[in-house]
Amino acid sequence: MVSGQDRQHRGDDSMARAGRAAKIDGRHLRSLRTRQRIIEAYLELAAEMSPRIPTAAQIADRAGCSARSVFERFPDIHSLQVAAVDHAVTLIIPPPPRREGDDRQARIHAQVESRSRSCQIWLPLWRSLIANQGESAELRQRVTRLRQGIIDRLSTMYEPELSTVPEAERLRLLIILEALTDSESWARMQEFFGLSSDEARATWRQAIDRLLPPTPATP
Amino acid sequence: MVLAIGIGDFSIDPVSLTEGSKSARIDGRRLRSERTKQLIIEAYLSLLRERPVVPMPTAAQIAERAGYSVRSVFERFPDLSKLRLAAADYALAQAAALAPPRNVEGNRLTRIKSQVETRAGTCERGVALWRVLLFSVAEDEQLRSRVELSRKRTIERLEIMYRPELSTLPETERTYTLIALEAITDHESWARMREQHGLSFEAACGVWIDAIDRLLPPTPPPA
Repeated sequence: MVSGQDRQHRGDDSMARAGRAAKIDGRHLRSLRTRQRIIEAYLELAAEMSPRIPTAAQIADRAGCSARSVFERFPDIHSLQVAAVDHAVTLIIPPPPRREGDDRQARIHAQVESRSRSCQIWLPLWRSLIANQGESAELRQRVTRLRQGIIDRLSTMYEPELSTVPEAERLRLLIILEALTDSESWARMQEFFGLSSDEARATWRQAIDRLLPPTPATP
Repeated sequence: MVLAIGIGDFSIDPVSLTEGSKSARIDGRRLRSERTKQLIIEAYLSLLRERPVVPMPTAAQIAERAGYSVRSVFERFPDLSKLRLAAADYALAQAAALAPPRNVEGNRLTRIKSQVETRAGTCERGVALWRVLLFSVAEDEQLRSRVELSRKRTIERLEIMYRPELSTLPETERTYTLIALEAITDHESWARMREQHGLSFEAACGVWIDAIDRLLPPTPPPA
């Protein structure tokens, strides 16, 4: 038979365990939040300082924590870079724009608008990533994955036209479309050629329209 | 020191002979110094091609590759950024020398093939240095001017090679077409085809030939 005292002790024990669990969860949550702040601090600084990368001290300062906190969560700046890129990828490659009823010009317009917005926002970070991938297989893999994501989106948007050509030609067209709409291409149009954003988008629309094969008639 | 030299019945001005020797020696030293400079630049460029991920090899690595001492490197280049600038000038001059416009009067396909092969060669040789320049251009105004000069020359070459087609376009369309041509034949575009997509030199040229043929308007009939 369990005495009242035993019941109380058991009650006290489970409350203590629950309290400890809550504390651990709370610490874990705070740790995750700090980790996220560090990643965001890195991304902000990398964009501001592009193509240079920030030091642990600079990142810690921006994140409002100590350099020790940075290294508790990331063994080195490289692993922080990788985590930051993984976080940024979901932001750099938005979902493909709607296919706007399959009208060729509407699709070109939508894709160019979406791509130019991405380039405008992410150019400094992209430059930082490209410049600092160095010999890191992980960062190079991320760059490749990002580029492939862009190619996949182009493939989706221009499926009607690309479906009319043999596979080898389709790949060649996608390679060229990706080169044409690269972030540096966007930057060059504005920085070197002095185009406004509207003129730069018009340049891309004209080129894409010429590069794509004729749109097949809808059945 | 003036040496009085008399040779038989000839009367030789000892001063001008000495000056002449001195001048020849100075020219010789200058030539050797210039050759050393060039070897150092070529060593730097070859190290970049081998390890394109390292924006700046060390002075020791460059000196060793060139076959000179570190002191020789710094005697000719006060710091490595000056060497990088000199390498950019060297590469620009090399590109101009190795890549004159060819088949300018040829038919459409001949001109496209010719321009593509020339451009491909330039990119194949120069992508490692190009990446270094772009990495450093934000903090070096002189490098920026070299990058801009290189782009300007690329555009001028496109204008020369595709004059018949470009002349049929209104000004705005012509500008947009040139910009698109420059974008697709950029160093990085070439590098991606070779490195990421694993295309051979010939296959990559094929991609560009096809794309340029699509981008250009129809060729007008000869006058």
